[in-house]
Amino acid sequence: MAGLRGEVSWFCCGNAWGPCGSAGHGACGTCNSGSWQHAWTNTSDACFAITRPDRCGITGVSRRTCGFRHATTNLCNGARVVTTIADCGPQTDLFCGERACCGGTCASNRVIDLTPAAFSAIGSLNAGLIPCNVEAG
Amino acid sequence: MMGQVAALQALVIGVLLVWSSYGKLVGPLVGARARRTALKKFVGEERAEPAFRAVGGVELLIGAVLLLPPLWIMESVAAIALSVGFLGFLTYSRVASPDSSCGCAGSATAPVSWRAFGRAGLLLVAAVLASSADVSWSSLPGLAAVVVVLAEVMLFVAFSPELDRHWLLPLRRLKVRLTHPLAGTAAYDVPLATTQHQLLRSGAYRAVNSLLRSDIRDHWDEGEWRFVSYTASYDDRPATAVFAVPRLRYEPDEIRVAIVDDENGETVYRPSLLPVLA
Amino acid sequence: MTNTLDRRTLLTSAVLGTTATLVGATAMGSLAPETAFAARAQSPEPGAPDPNFAEGRVTARDGSMILAAGSDGRFHRIQLTGGTSVWKLRPTTLDQVKVGDGLYARGVLMPDGTLAAESIWVNIVNLKVHVTAIGKNVLHLDHNGSRIVGHVVPGTSAAVYNGKPAVSDLSMVKVGKHAQVIGAWRPDTNEIDVATIYAAA
Repeated sequence: MAGLRGEVSWFCCGNAWGPCGSAGHGACGTCNSGSWQHAWTNTSDACFAITRPDRCGITGVSRRTCGFRHATTNLCNGARVVTTIADCGPQTDLFCGERACCGGTCASNRVIDLTPAAFSAIGSLNAGLIPCNVEAG
Repeated sequence: MMGQVAALQALVIGVLLVWSSYGKLVGPLVGARARRTALKKFVGEERAEPAFRAVGGVELLIGAVLLLPPLWIMESVAAIALSVGFLGFLTYSRVASPDSSCGCAGSATAPVSWRAFGRAGLLLVAAVLASSADVSWSSLPGLAAVVVVLAEVMLFVAFSPELDRHWLLPLRRLKVRLTHPLAGTAAYDVPLATTQHQLLRSGAYRAVNSLLRSDIRDHWDEGEWRFVSYTASYDDRPATAVFAVPRLRYEPDEIRVAIVDDENGETVYRPSLLPVLA
Repeated sequence: MTNTLDRRTLLTSAVLGTTATLVGATAMGSLAPETAFAARAQSPEPGAPDPNFAEGRVTARDGSMILAAGSDGRFHRIQLTGGTSVWKLRPTTLDQVKVGDGLYARGVLMPDGTLAAESIWVNIVNLKVHVTAIGKNVLHLDHNGSRIVGHVVPGTSAAVYNGKPAVSDLSMVKVGKHAQVIGAWRPDTNEIDVATIYAAA
């Protein structure tokens, strides 16, 4: 799969505190905020029906199942992290057309969500949303 | 008049039940909705969808017979039984599976709230009233009866979160347009988030990113600049990275950075492409 | 604090390029983070728990050592140093991490099992929400069917509209629309303080 350029944010799973408390362990049942994992928009038909990246004009998002590895690179600083699929997400079609830019390189639409452990390895948690490149890891 | 109000109940209940059955029977999301309700716990995951559809079917049937003449007391009794069943199921949902969605009127994620109980209770009252009716709803009612029933319908709408976007949200949007509750925020000080937003997109940040070890530790303003410091490491020695960011403008290219050794205070690294200010 | 002012003055002149004065080691001071710097971390296996990361709720605090109960049952001992950054709605001081706070911490796992913290984010949440109502300096939000009250904090809360640079003006957030909110949870409540809201203008 060629690099998919888009935006990456972070989500929590398995937390016992805060509004995250009811999130559970994700669609794969193994998700934890402290592990190097991520959410993917096309893990199953039911998942795709919720995330609908095609509504934002994103084509070619491959069907990948729990445990598959992707590598996410932060376009702002070049930092890279390899994670496995542990959940379904993000809800791409709710934020169609949203852009994040970094020194002349821009990316549109949310394509991946990382756990706090993985996101903090390539960026700051309070930065929230960064442009990225995603490849098979 | 009460007789006419009672007669019209069949119309109100019938429309409500038919509308409610739609979300349980039609569309690709019925299965997902079913599995989010407490039915999943009640009858098991595989039987949740068939059970959900069965409830929808029963609603459609009772709604249809209430709408179609003639009027039989059995229809109202069935509606009463259905309302009691709803109230019982909502109580079970709330107690046994508080995170599950209501599944009411086919809504996807609204949890069981007091509004759901209110609506089911109102439905029970309406069904009991309907059982006392002598004539079908299609016999011409007087104005007073119509007014009472319209008030009742508005109450049903108020109890239905699924319908909020048609009346409640537009009302709230109007209120915001009239009162401007957040108008004052434009005049507030530049938030640190604004500074960090441009800092993370700057060449200065890219130049020293591999040396940074922490998130923002300190920040202070002086003149046109906002200074932001991070813990850093240079040659395995503890250091501080300090950025100077234009405070009131978005100009990532003008951001400067220096790495300062923590122990002797020397500036050990300052990317030379950035000009030195006098 | 003269110490902080001296340090800031030094850093200001360093970055703006005016002559940097050499200051004696005593004026700078640090809680010995050298050992942490020396032991740079190994990356974990993808999918596995990150040993250099801690997630949990603070159960006790002993000086610069924090004990946190992880949601996965692990217990973490987190060591704060002079180089640790603490975010609690905004960058703040080490003493602001309190018992009952939730946290994420990134640092370096020491041989004795403690985590030498480099960055700590206290009570940070990243919520995908639906804005249901707006009041004076407050946003009422719906998060997966639960109600959350988002407090607007003057001088701190910022809005990002369609990816444009963040601004303090939140008046273009609309009732009924989706948004993403980064904020600080107020422990044991359904309220948060809004740090940044990402919305479509």
